[in-house]
Amino acid sequence: MESLLKIENLRVAVENKEIINGLNLNVGRGEFHIVMGPNGSGKSTLALALMGHPKYEIKEGKIEFEGKEIVGLSPDERARRGIFMAFQHPEEIEGVKIIDYLRLLLEKVKGMEPLKAQEIIAKKAKELWFSPDMLHRYINVGFSGGERKRFEILQALLLEPKLLILDEPDSGVDVDSLSLISLKMREFHKRGMAILLITHYGRILQHIDPKIVHVHILKEGRIVLSGKEELVERIEKEGFKKVFEECGCNE
Amino acid sequence: MNDAQEIRYQIEEQIELLSERNKEPEWMTRLRYRGLKAFLEAPHNDPVIKDPLEFVIHRSQEIFPEVKSLDDLPPEMRSLLDRLGIAEVEKKYVTGLAVQSDTSIVLNEFLKQWREKGLIVESMEDAIRNHPHLKERFMHLFDPGESKLAAYHTAVWNGGVYIRVKSGLKVPMPLHLFFLIQNSALAQAPHIIIEAEPGSEIHLIEGCTSPILLRHSLHLDMTEAYIGEGAKLRLSVLQNWPEYVHTRPMTRARVGKNAEFINTTVGLGTGKSNIANPKYWVDKGGYVELNTIILGKKDFYIDMGGEMYLQGIGARGLNASKSVIMDNSRVITKGIIKAMAPKTKGHISCDALILNSSAKMETYPGLVSHVDDAELSHEAAIGKIREEELFYLMSRGLKEEEATQLIVKGFVDPLLKDIPMEFVVEIRKIIEMAVSGGF
Repeated sequence: MESLLKIENLRVAVENKEIINGLNLNVGRGEFHIVMGPNGSGKSTLALALMGHPKYEIKEGKIEFEGKEIVGLSPDERARRGIFMAFQHPEEIEGVKIIDYLRLLLEKVKGMEPLKAQEIIAKKAKELWFSPDMLHRYINVGFSGGERKRFEILQALLLEPKLLILDEPDSGVDVDSLSLISLKMREFHKRGMAILLITHYGRILQHIDPKIVHVHILKEGRIVLSGKEELVERIEKEGFKKVFEECGCNE
Repeated sequence: MNDAQEIRYQIEEQIELLSERNKEPEWMTRLRYRGLKAFLEAPHNDPVIKDPLEFVIHRSQEIFPEVKSLDDLPPEMRSLLDRLGIAEVEKKYVTGLAVQSDTSIVLNEFLKQWREKGLIVESMEDAIRNHPHLKERFMHLFDPGESKLAAYHTAVWNGGVYIRVKSGLKVPMPLHLFFLIQNSALAQAPHIIIEAEPGSEIHLIEGCTSPILLRHSLHLDMTEAYIGEGAKLRLSVLQNWPEYVHTRPMTRARVGKNAEFINTTVGLGTGKSNIANPKYWVDKGGYVELNTIILGKKDFYIDMGGEMYLQGIGARGLNASKSVIMDNSRVITKGIIKAMAPKTKGHISCDALILNSSAKMETYPGLVSHVDDAELSHEAAIGKIREEELFYLMSRGLKEEEATQLIVKGFVDPLLKDIPMEFVVEIRKIIEMAVSGGF
């Protein structure tokens, strides 16, 4: 499969503390990758570094997207090239109405006419259970866990990225929202989007064909194990500690 | 001739000119002379204008053509009205529009019809001749001797408008008032009196601007509002001054029993310096709300006060301000609420968004209670745009500038609830341009 995202020997530091520690990962077009790992293993750091968060300093290594280096690009430039990250903890933005924000997004990023944008927003919002009233609320303000995560998916649906990075879309979410997000993930994948899913649990994969997934286990900022669906089951059954002991990953 | 004599002579000349031009009743001319006397004696404590005398100027013989309709306005003014969407507002909604250019008031059909129902809108010069009872209103909420600027206004006021809404009359559409000051020979000191009689309702939108060449750089408008029992007055003021103007708006209101006064000020172009300390006296069950939006940029100095005296049982006051501050501007807010009767409530809130580190914001809320069962509170939040907020929006593809504009708009918008959509659109545009360094 043609390479979409290629990460080579990546080292990332936050406030001079190195969190990602020589990480290599290849994601081909349309592929479905899962990154799992215990707390503090660097999962969210990886996502934020890929998106270009200013606090995450790239000490070494390469991140190539469609064959081009993206280290040094601003977050908006990365987004415009087709990378989208759904946040684990989406920000509240007081005073900014969802509808105004989404309209601006479609206008500026996709070059869409306001009327057309309005129409598409209304349609896609409904698919993610957002009523027209809810579109007049402020971004993430007073949202439940499920609403926040569904709103992230709505934005991905509108922007149609080439690479969708999902940072724990299954944390703090009600069962129904989880099921919907899982379903949407399958749709994204079917339409050819590459997915990099960061998660603790396997339950979000309920609608996904297990045979298609590539699984990577992260420990102390490096990928120590890669495999297929059976890795997810093993982690769920035995826990990270035991798996690390068995593979000799603690050495 | 020494300085004091020279000043006296110049102001006297202006008084005589105005008195004769306006064919004023004698009480008004006497009041002007009281202003002159006070000007020479009153204290001056303006932090920006060190010497008010520099603003006293020689009178000129320039005569401006009378303005009878919007078409008579100079092209610059027309284009300004167009830019603000005023002409459109009028066309679309046939709403009240009174444009004042010096002493002429341009009345449209709407106002002619409503006059019969009891809505009076007259230039202040006409009103002084037509309504003798204004002797008991004019300068009754101010004292000419309280400051040099109040005194100067008293002596040389010109222009302004008188509005009276008859008892029980409810005016459903906002009435737009525009002060376009073109006669540079006179001090810019319009005087406004609003009488909302018991049970009446009106929304006034005042746009202050001086779009054409000015020799003056000091603007001293004064507003006195008398709100009768159960009446509702909304006064929304949009300020859009050139950068060289110093403005000292003076607003005072007496809010009657169970009456309501919503006073919103949007200061987009506040001028080089803008100092205002409106005062409100609120009777039993009455309510006053002061909403202020400030855009501080360049080296502007803006000082917004607001004193609320809750004199009657159950009177309430809210002073809410939102400031967006950038460049080297300095914004100070210092509201005071005094609870003087039982069961009164007051709240001061001050939010500021600071866009760069050289801009300065200070806030000094003042709460004073003379009774033991008043509820008084305040809150203030001064901060920068959070990095995480910006990152969230940028990670979706918005440029830093676009994301900043969106956040600033979201910060300001909640206070624009009283402003018609046409203006909100214009206000947003001005804010966007300022944030992106467009002017």
